[in-house]
Amino acid sequence: MFTFIDTLLIGLTSGAVYSLMAIALVLVWRSTRVVNFAQAGQALLSTYIGYECMGRFHSFWIALALAMILGAGVSALIEMLFMRTLFKRNTGPIAGVAPIIATLGLLGIIRGGIGIFMGGKETIIRPPLSNVGFTISGHTFALSPFKLVILSAVLIMMILLSLIFTKTNIGLALRASAYAPEIARLAGVKVDAIRTLGWAIAGAAGAAAGMLQTPNGTGALSPDSLEFSLLLVFGFIAAVIGGLESLVGAVIGGLLLGLVLAIVLMYVNATLLFMTAFVLLIVVLLVRPQGIMGKKAGRRA
Amino acid sequence: MHKLIHSNIGRLLFFGALGCLLFLAGNRVDELRVYQGATLAMFVVAISSIILLTGYSGQVSLGHGALLAIGGYSAVLARNYWSLPIWLCFAVAVLATAAAGSVLGTAAARLSGPYLAGTTLALAVGLPSIANQFSFLGGEQGLLFDVGAPPAFLGADFSPYKWYFWIASSAALIALWWLQNILRSRYGRTWRAVRGNEVAAELSGIHVGKAKTLAFTLSAGLAGLGGALLAMTIGTVSPSAFPLTLSFSLLTGAVLSGVTTLPGVMIGAVTLVATPEIANAISHRLGDSGAVTSNLPGLLVSALLILVVMLVPNGPVEQLRSIRTRRSVSTSR
Amino acid sequence: MIGTNRRKLLVASAVLVTGALTLSAIPAQAFSVRNEVGVTSNSIKLGITLPMTGAASPGYNKIPGAMKAYFDYVNANGGVNGRKITLVVKDDAYTPTASVQATNELILQDKVFAMVGALGTANNKAVAALVNPGRRGIPDLFVNTGFSGFADKKAYPTTFSLFPSYIMEAKIMSMYIKENFPGKKLGLLYQADDFGRDALAGFKTGGVTFDVTVPYAPLSQATPTTPPTWITKLQAGGAEVVVLFGVSSATAAALGAAYAMKYHPQWILGSVGGDATAIKLAGVPAPLFTGVQTASFLPAPADTTDEYVKLFQTINTKYNPGATFDNNILAGMNTAFVTVQAIAAAGKNLTRKGLITAIETKGSTFASAGLTPMAPTATSHAGYNGYWFGTYDGTATLKPNGGVYTVYTTDSGAGAVAKSTYKRPAMPVNGLPTN
Repeated sequence: MFTFIDTLLIGLTSGAVYSLMAIALVLVWRSTRVVNFAQAGQALLSTYIGYECMGRFHSFWIALALAMILGAGVSALIEMLFMRTLFKRNTGPIAGVAPIIATLGLLGIIRGGIGIFMGGKETIIRPPLSNVGFTISGHTFALSPFKLVILSAVLIMMILLSLIFTKTNIGLALRASAYAPEIARLAGVKVDAIRTLGWAIAGAAGAAAGMLQTPNGTGALSPDSLEFSLLLVFGFIAAVIGGLESLVGAVIGGLLLGLVLAIVLMYVNATLLFMTAFVLLIVVLLVRPQGIMGKKAGRRA
Repeated sequence: MHKLIHSNIGRLLFFGALGCLLFLAGNRVDELRVYQGATLAMFVVAISSIILLTGYSGQVSLGHGALLAIGGYSAVLARNYWSLPIWLCFAVAVLATAAAGSVLGTAAARLSGPYLAGTTLALAVGLPSIANQFSFLGGEQGLLFDVGAPPAFLGADFSPYKWYFWIASSAALIALWWLQNILRSRYGRTWRAVRGNEVAAELSGIHVGKAKTLAFTLSAGLAGLGGALLAMTIGTVSPSAFPLTLSFSLLTGAVLSGVTTLPGVMIGAVTLVATPEIANAISHRLGDSGAVTSNLPGLLVSALLILVVMLVPNGPVEQLRSIRTRRSVSTSR
Repeated sequence: MIGTNRRKLLVASAVLVTGALTLSAIPAQAFSVRNEVGVTSNSIKLGITLPMTGAASPGYNKIPGAMKAYFDYVNANGGVNGRKITLVVKDDAYTPTASVQATNELILQDKVFAMVGALGTANNKAVAALVNPGRRGIPDLFVNTGFSGFADKKAYPTTFSLFPSYIMEAKIMSMYIKENFPGKKLGLLYQADDFGRDALAGFKTGGVTFDVTVPYAPLSQATPTTPPTWITKLQAGGAEVVVLFGVSSATAAALGAAYAMKYHPQWILGSVGGDATAIKLAGVPAPLFTGVQTASFLPAPADTTDEYVKLFQTINTKYNPGATFDNNILAGMNTAFVTVQAIAAAGKNLTRKGLITAIETKGSTFASAGLTPMAPTATSHAGYNGYWFGTYDGTATLKPNGGVYTVYTTDSGAGAVAKSTYKRPAMPVNGLPTN
């Protein structure tokens, strides 16, 4: 009985982590129609910034806030310096591939840079709240105060960002700039600035993902971090499962992915992690090629 | 003369001449270069498969490494369990991967842009780990692949590396020649129509789903050949020989070559092979600090990638062509 | 446009072909085996491939620095038979493709005399298969892996193991568990590939059955979903003694997740995942190490009563400043130490064949920091064959159980495990090779 509850808890809490990354990826997609592979690198960079802040201010929450702000700034910079040039010249068949390649290149540069300057140093971020599970009637459950923080963060971001996108003028401008930039320009929207804003928000979300995920594991941070690479892949899978067009979908996708993985690992075969992710993705896309929350063909913003 | 060049005979002669050049070049350089030549040929084949898929039919695959893995493992299994001669093993690799590609392609045809990218990414991560599930696939340590010693008539001192180079180059030349033919045929035109505008293509009578699946199948076959060549050059197959970074490198090579142009494929392949070495040389000059040496090659490749994508997104060959077009247009006024 | 390009190329190639044909009187380069490659009258060049970057690198990337430090020490004292040793280091990020390319460069470009300490099972297998140090006669000394196959001289004629095999380790662990934890419920976490399966085979031969076995797919330990499921399974099975036979990142993940779920069994770490430095770098704080046991065949790195440890620490401070002395540095220097012994034993007329013969005939008498005998012979290229067990304290310092190194030895086959009576020969004066 406890085992089953724990499995569900593990699935939900780890799924929340995937959702965090998925949210960042969906944000970039909805505002600029680009899949940003550098998101993992940006999250990594922001988390290193957070680490430095923790050293200076000795508070996780301040560090988190600063990491998000600076992460937004870095993201905006990247959009202005690299992606704008790319969008201008982005015509023809390369259109789908070029941004992916460019962001991959960015990922490499960020990692290499961090490796040169911070490689080999012991960088550890400890959680601000206990990561030890709640103990009820003698059994320690796979849910701790810090994990509750992560779950809440995901829900808050999802609600907040969905509201911004659907109920505010800025949100409308964001969607319009992504879907039909020329028409948006004609309507007076400063498309370039809006795009930068979209990337900035995504950068903040990615920073949150990195800062929350790191203490959730063992707390260690390294430029070669396998955790961040896998986070990117699983976050992307979660986003695709949920439908790239929807933030709610990103969260659903992430939680579903986490739950399915946890159940398979516990009850089926502990070695099938990667295959399961792939199979889940294929199954979802076969049934609904646009993802769970995505709307069918025809244009949507 | 024009008619001759554009005809099949002309193309055949061209590749034949290339083959002679390579043969002679192989005799004049040292072993390390010859080995790198074999690796180069492998990249040429693998990159051309991406050019076919992405450049010509507009589908993005982030997981070509998985297809290479299928090809590599098929070739090794054919060799180890059925003791087939090498050429047949390569054929098995091509067919097996093409079959897998047709299955994937039917699924892929329904997916657009990022969804396809996500699926192929998941495939790249998930597929190689299958080797750990079944013992006949060799697990993490992999299986050995022995293409055999060079035939006796070449002499006892004939370097195995040169033998690999010959095999790989021949395979690459044949593959390129075949691909060039296909791209210039009506299939190629169909793909370019689909890539340009799917709706318009459908309206003009092209079965978009079929065209896309065909592209995926053929691309997979080529990737399978690339995978078999990769297995030959490292003498083994194992999950760690087909990491995610391989898929990304191939995509990089394709972009550097100019994803829509086949002639540029050498540029991409050479860059992939040469950059690590150049980067190593540079970091040696800068002094051998551990952190710098290890990270610099990756840094340089990534920087190169971004520069190329930003400045010459369609690849250097296409860029040159458009410069020529502009010049000829302006001079003809 | 395309036609013009094509035409030009065709003409150009035709010209080149004609020109080249006239020059083709020059024969192709013959493939020859040269013996004194990498050796001059006053220098010897050695090469190593290992992960200096990438997920597998923490801890291991300190090894080359340690080896170079020892070589510098020897060079400062006259070298070996008047020759100074240099080490060329190539990073392979743990991928076999990169290992092959790197080894090719070492052999064909840098022209090293021998390879030493190459790391990784799949990596070494790929290198052996392709570069074939065996067929070319290039010595591949003291590979950094526990794969028992490398001791097979027929399959790998020029490769020498140094570390005990994983099968040996599992067998010895079995005996240790049976002796010290009889009747307890046992759990095993292992990597689901050949590394882990070798261990399973060893435990089977050793006669231990686990109540809970938890395999994990390699690399899956880096996802947030996986480590908690290990703990849940182990807890559900009631395991009181758990063997962690995975890589360091898996050990770290397990220890962290167990702490979060208040699960405190008796941990026993395998040698691969038992390195304190790598585990700490992966985020586990030192207090969590208390009571955790692991096996080793070298003296404990903090044991300054050991003459080798004392010497190596001094060399490390002088020639490798900034590097904290730990098990990786100790192991690296030891490998360098044994290598120097081998080169010295090969004599002044240094050839590759001579080196191999020297190790085969005199290897068992080499001095080294290892607390078990080294056993290379003319028919087997095995290295050390035993382990002792120790416990970490709250500062992540390893101390042998009972304060004494109780070494168990065995083989990679069906042979029994025995308590060793091996007395390690005294260190040569100043830790320099005896000619």
